[in-house]
Amino acid sequence: MPNASSGTRPSGPTAAGPTTARVVRIGGLLALAAVVLLFPSLAPDPFILSVGVVILSYAVLATSWNLVGGFTGYISLGHAAYSGLGGYATALLILRSGLNPWLALLVGALIVALIAIPVGIASLRVRGASFVIVSIALVLILQLTFQSWHTFTGGSGGLRVPRPFGADVLRPEQHERFFYLHAVLLALALLTWWLIERSRLGAGLKAIREDEDKAQALGVPTFAYKLTALVTSAFFTALGGGLYALWFGYLDPIFQFSILVGTYMVLMSLLGGVRSLFGPLLGAVVVGYAVEVFKSQYGDTQFHLVATGVLLGLVVLFMPDGVIPAITSFLNRRRRAASIREVSAEELARQREEATR
Amino acid sequence: MTGALFAQSLVLGVLLGGLYALLAAGLTLYFGVMRVVMIAHSAFLILAAYLAWYFHERTGVDPLLSLVVTVPLFFVVGYGMQRFLVSRLRPITLTTMSVLLTFAVALTIEGLLGFIWTGTQRRVQLGYSGTSIEVAGVSVAVVKLIAFGLAALSLAALYLILRRTSFGRALRATTQHPEAARLIGIDTDRVAGLGFGLGLATAAIGGTALALDYTIYPSLHWHWIGPLMAIIVVGGLGSIPGAAIAALLLGVAASLLQVPLGTTWAQTVFYLALFVTLMIRPQGFFGGRLAQRF
Repeated sequence: MPNASSGTRPSGPTAAGPTTARVVRIGGLLALAAVVLLFPSLAPDPFILSVGVVILSYAVLATSWNLVGGFTGYISLGHAAYSGLGGYATALLILRSGLNPWLALLVGALIVALIAIPVGIASLRVRGASFVIVSIALVLILQLTFQSWHTFTGGSGGLRVPRPFGADVLRPEQHERFFYLHAVLLALALLTWWLIERSRLGAGLKAIREDEDKAQALGVPTFAYKLTALVTSAFFTALGGGLYALWFGYLDPIFQFSILVGTYMVLMSLLGGVRSLFGPLLGAVVVGYAVEVFKSQYGDTQFHLVATGVLLGLVVLFMPDGVIPAITSFLNRRRRAASIREVSAEELARQREEATR
Repeated sequence: MTGALFAQSLVLGVLLGGLYALLAAGLTLYFGVMRVVMIAHSAFLILAAYLAWYFHERTGVDPLLSLVVTVPLFFVVGYGMQRFLVSRLRPITLTTMSVLLTFAVALTIEGLLGFIWTGTQRRVQLGYSGTSIEVAGVSVAVVKLIAFGLAALSLAALYLILRRTSFGRALRATTQHPEAARLIGIDTDRVAGLGFGLGLATAAIGGTALALDYTIYPSLHWHWIGPLMAIIVVGGLGSIPGAAIAALLLGVAASLLQVPLGTTWAQTVFYLALFVTLMIRPQGFFGGRLAQRF
């Protein structure tokens, strides 16, 4: 049972494949790092740089979302609750208790992780449906609260977040610094995902995703595992929200606690592929760019809602596993799949059905 | 709180609860026959409200008459939605993926409403809009009474369909045990489609009732989906009587709390109830045999 699924990648000593695969993977990783590091100096103007910051921020949120959504299969539509709370916690800690901004960011995220515990206890006791409903309800109730509680949160008028760098740091430099800060946070979130995937926790979470009853019967502490995944995810989501708040400098409850932001996280993760490490990142680049273009082109009409809706529907219907797995399985079929691959309960059922036919 | 104010809030709460009960019944139907969490239900509600408003705006005839068109239309759309969209999802991940799919539909509807009729707030102005009836010191707006009457009639019709027709029996059998239902020759796919259509037809009626009494705008559906979802969880997912009881209780509670707390904070009672239910009795307080596993 331990490490039963660590043969997830074609990394075992099977054929000539593994070494080339490893080279390709390390090369890809280096190329990715190079693109991220060089982007600020290549970006033609501050606007493009700011779009880069937004996309990285989306990538942080989507990767954090995937810590619970990808591993357990529990789809949360309300992760904006955690990113919004992270933003507000950071801002309020700076404003009300004069905390150092970076410390406020960390403390804020820890507070949000604590809040996620009772939410998880309530919503993870029953299967999927209730979890989704609670996640939506959480965003709606937070939006109500933060809009109405004028004395504490600034209400619907919004809240100005103090800038962490002095006033002498100009806007383009701000963008550049926050670009790298977001890149570091993204790297941390990806590393956490990678570590969990290789651990006993990760194997247990994936067992829950495939068949929760069987996982429980095999002795996986399903509830504790699900809760751990949710709290970790909430922590990183809050860090992402807080960092974004420090960069953007302004919080509005309508946009902070918006179901749409939660939807973007789901869409990005699904589009790229929830089972792969870089799926949400890829999704964030595609969807984040599209969202920014849509907002600047058709900002006044509600057309971006239609576009998001149709895209989400198409992904759910035709590519529920995402782009990366679709391509990988296509390539594997071409290479006659020599290595052990992660097989989902669904695929097993289908294979069995074909065999008995 | 004075006695008169209490009585007033109580009556309004019951009237609102009736409308909630009708809409929650629709949601319960989808969950019962297909295990589908239908996020788009309230978006269709707002769509029906817009259609009623537009119908009144164009023709000047009472918006209630638009039901003649919208109820069959929504029924067909619901049937089609189940047969051509929801049934394509893989059975293993049906519940969670159905959330995303119906959510996508909700976003598309909201976007199209904003695209066609802009985000401007709309309101139906009728001859009887401002009139109210006073009984024993409690005054009730006529439109609220009409909305409640529509809800009560449709719930009664729903009850009769489920209990007295062969289709109703087939639907209940499919809800209780789809495989056994198939074994005795019920075409469960067709039944599920018709059940979906029936659920969506309730959204057409609810939306028209809504248009009589509320100012409508495209993103209004978010204000409805939260309370409705809370109601079906408190009532026990899949149980129509449970949803009806929860709807009435929570409608009254929200209405009574509105006096000391104000509208916004009174709304939180739904979410509080949802949270408490999941903490204490995850399968719901009423009925709710199905909920444990989903």
